[in-house]
Amino acid sequence: MLPDLETLLPRDLVAELIALARSQGAEFAEVYGEYTIHTAFSLEEDRLRTSSYSVSQGAGIRAIVGDQTGYAYAEGFMPGDLREAARVAARIARDGKAGERPAAFRVVDRPAPFTLEHPAPQALDESGKIALVRRANDAARGYDPRVHEVSVTFADASRAFQIGNSDGLWAADRTFLSRLSVSTLALEGDSRQSGFAAGGGCVEDAYFEKDRTPEEVAKEAAATAVTLLSAKEPEGGSYPVVVAPGWGGVMVHECFGHSMEGDTIRKNTSIRAVQKGQQVAAKGVTIVDSGLVPYSRGSFRVDDEGTPAQRTVLVEDGILVGYMWDLLNARITNNRPTGNGRRTSFRDYPLCRMTNTYIEGGHETPEALIASVPRGLYCKSLGGGSVNPADGNFSFTVTEAVMIENGKLTHPVRNATLTGNGNDAMLKIDGVASDLKIDGTTGSCGKDGQWKPVGVGQPTLKFSAITVGGTA
Amino acid sequence: VSAPLSTAPLPTRELEEIAADAVVRAKNAGADQAEAVTGASRAFTVNVSERKIETLKQSASRSLGLRVIVNGAVGFVSSSDLRPDALDDLARRAVALARFSTPDEANQLPLDEEVAGDDGGDLGLWDPEVLELPAEKKIAMCLELERIALEADPRIRRTDGASFSTRDGASALANSSGVVRSSSGTSVSTWVVALADDQDGKQQTGVYGNSKRRVRDLETMEAIGREAARRATARIGARPVPTAKVPVVMHPDIAGSWVSEMYDAFTGEAVLKRASWLTEKLGETIAAPMVTLVDDGRMPGGLGSGAWDGEGVPTRRNVLIERGVCRMFEYDVYHARRAGVRSTGNAVRGTSSVPGIGYHNLYVEPGRETPEEILKRVGRGFYFDDQGSYGFNSVTGDYSFQAQGFWIENGQKVHPVEGVTVAGTSLEMLKRIVAIGNDLKWNASVACPTLLIEEMTLSGT
Repeated sequence: MLPDLETLLPRDLVAELIALARSQGAEFAEVYGEYTIHTAFSLEEDRLRTSSYSVSQGAGIRAIVGDQTGYAYAEGFMPGDLREAARVAARIARDGKAGERPAAFRVVDRPAPFTLEHPAPQALDESGKIALVRRANDAARGYDPRVHEVSVTFADASRAFQIGNSDGLWAADRTFLSRLSVSTLALEGDSRQSGFAAGGGCVEDAYFEKDRTPEEVAKEAAATAVTLLSAKEPEGGSYPVVVAPGWGGVMVHECFGHSMEGDTIRKNTSIRAVQKGQQVAAKGVTIVDSGLVPYSRGSFRVDDEGTPAQRTVLVEDGILVGYMWDLLNARITNNRPTGNGRRTSFRDYPLCRMTNTYIEGGHETPEALIASVPRGLYCKSLGGGSVNPADGNFSFTVTEAVMIENGKLTHPVRNATLTGNGNDAMLKIDGVASDLKIDGTTGSCGKDGQWKPVGVGQPTLKFSAITVGGTA
Repeated sequence: VSAPLSTAPLPTRELEEIAADAVVRAKNAGADQAEAVTGASRAFTVNVSERKIETLKQSASRSLGLRVIVNGAVGFVSSSDLRPDALDDLARRAVALARFSTPDEANQLPLDEEVAGDDGGDLGLWDPEVLELPAEKKIAMCLELERIALEADPRIRRTDGASFSTRDGASALANSSGVVRSSSGTSVSTWVVALADDQDGKQQTGVYGNSKRRVRDLETMEAIGREAARRATARIGARPVPTAKVPVVMHPDIAGSWVSEMYDAFTGEAVLKRASWLTEKLGETIAAPMVTLVDDGRMPGGLGSGAWDGEGVPTRRNVLIERGVCRMFEYDVYHARRAGVRSTGNAVRGTSSVPGIGYHNLYVEPGRETPEEILKRVGRGFYFDDQGSYGFNSVTGDYSFQAQGFWIENGQKVHPVEGVTVAGTSLEMLKRIVAIGNDLKWNASVACPTLLIEEMTLSGT
């Protein structure tokens, strides 16, 4: 059970720590306290290998002067350790006038975008979580005799956090994330292939009965592995690509989203910094980042700096209209923070990060987009992807694809890699279907060594040409 | 500007005592067997951007992980709260959790014969200078590094930051068979990302850095900054090339990353599950005869070195591929019991998880040719020196990465290349290695010299 954080880290102590962190002249200071419980149950080879529980608790203290940040943290909430951390963070400033403690805190009381009556991590006990794991295992093994191995994990995180800062902001909240993930291995002769699928998000226990059952997740993972056994290698080259809705949004996240984060805009290390008002995506393409998407792991009431979540339009009908801002980068550039200040834990200072990033639905049908391709690739599911924000070069692995020939889906394809430059990838979209799907079940984004849950989404999209890596 | 870190070594004795105490508490709570690991670390990081400090971060952490076995089933807990009453609570929780896991006779602590052995003497893992280096000096070095990158070439007008960080850590392990072990080490790392102006507002990236155990092993800031700048400016004007099957010269960064990706196939876990593309290959020729792949846990000064593995088993030098032949797989205790073999000293872990199988210092033994001699052997091909993050299938060994580098004509790099992918399958690639450079350099716990692969598929325009 999560403790009441404010009894561990009371407002009076937070006010004192803020004053300490400003004692050398810092203009801004902030105390972020957190108590997180992780539990996990992992099944491999039909055995529940480990049941685990871990607690992460402490507070991070940040002091800012100009565009410079000092950061230190303490494990736990011992006042002596916290004061030491505040003094260390304070030293980013030198010989400045000491700042005062906030007179009173103003509580951020913005209502939550959605509420969980029975968050899965709490509503399910150990046996309930293990039952989901076993059901997934049985379903994956029962799918096809070629399914040789199955690994299933149920993992959740219950987090209480609070923020107090020198502007007098006080925000506190709790978040509950859970995830059921299934990995499969299919064997046939000398051929071996793997599959993966997951379900979860900021969800209630009923989600795993009504929205996405362990059986559905398991079947998806098993079907991928089995299908890939008979898949062909892709043809290398540059040609039209159609990407399935949902998780395919990882492309807009990587190719475009990262270059719209306030830190890269402020520092002018992103090509997008000079493109406001310009056409950066094909006409008909609207790109949004929103922390309000119901039940997604990228959603929250307030971000890790206490700013309420919001819907931010980044691109409207192909034109760049807005950026994402965290507190620090918004302060320096005279912008308003957009609820994108996020951190992995109290051990990390916040960075400007995406929440749920997606391309809005258009007017075409997925069938029409596929039918319009004489020869190309339909990407059913993408794997990991990455981008270099400075030069824009991106790549994605395509875990499962299907060849398109004369407008028809033909044979399955494995091991394709999509690559290109994010600077023009969004301009190459030449078809947007109406079937928007946001996948808030499984994504995690890495930046500067910090991992954070995110959602991604898109409708079925057609790109006029993408470079596909392959050996055929 | 920053508080001095204590220069006293971390208290390994105290960490041993806390671990041993947690084991006693776990036994009292009903564990048949128990194993505790404790860790403590201190770290300092400065990031510089636009010729001034961007962030200064200092940290000190302590944590504990406790694994219990009750009737052959495993429960695991971890926390940073090391007070005695908190340990009692954790121990009870671990025992309660174990009842939900499946009993499995392979869940065991290491055998006496597995933990027997010495600590290998001084492995050169601790450098007092890492702690003695004043914060002001680290900041000055980082500022200098960024300045050198910025001033190396007029086409470099900004960086994506420079960083300098130091860390020292200690860990201890105790188990209910009476094993108590500890170790400690330091590390220092620094890097800079130079950005060079290309056409149409586009920028090219050059990343270079060092990661070492000892301060004196770092290259000069001058050398690191210039190398990052050289990498960025060399890419100006990069363009795709047409799809073709060509010889590929892998820069050590790319070759090392491939070796690291392939490692999973050498783990006893993947082999047992038949999830490894090497499952049936023990004793067979899987690579060109010039290839020898080693994992050495006791390499002096190695970033991955340590006398003991994550279960207290002595580490050692394992030869995975010997002159092209697959010689062995690596194991922790659980998978060794399952396979009917002994642990190879390859349990790796932090305090927040149960052990898994991992390498210590993994490398391909160097050959005799210089990288320049290797390049000269290529009539027409691709010099591959930067890649995307994802593109390896650990189950099949299939390899397909977004690639950057240079087009080679008549043994010379003729122009920079981007917007292409390089693909192949690991077994095929291993067998078609036709040259190994003499340039083995350590900057991580994995390393590989320059490699020449006879043919791979380059996909471009």
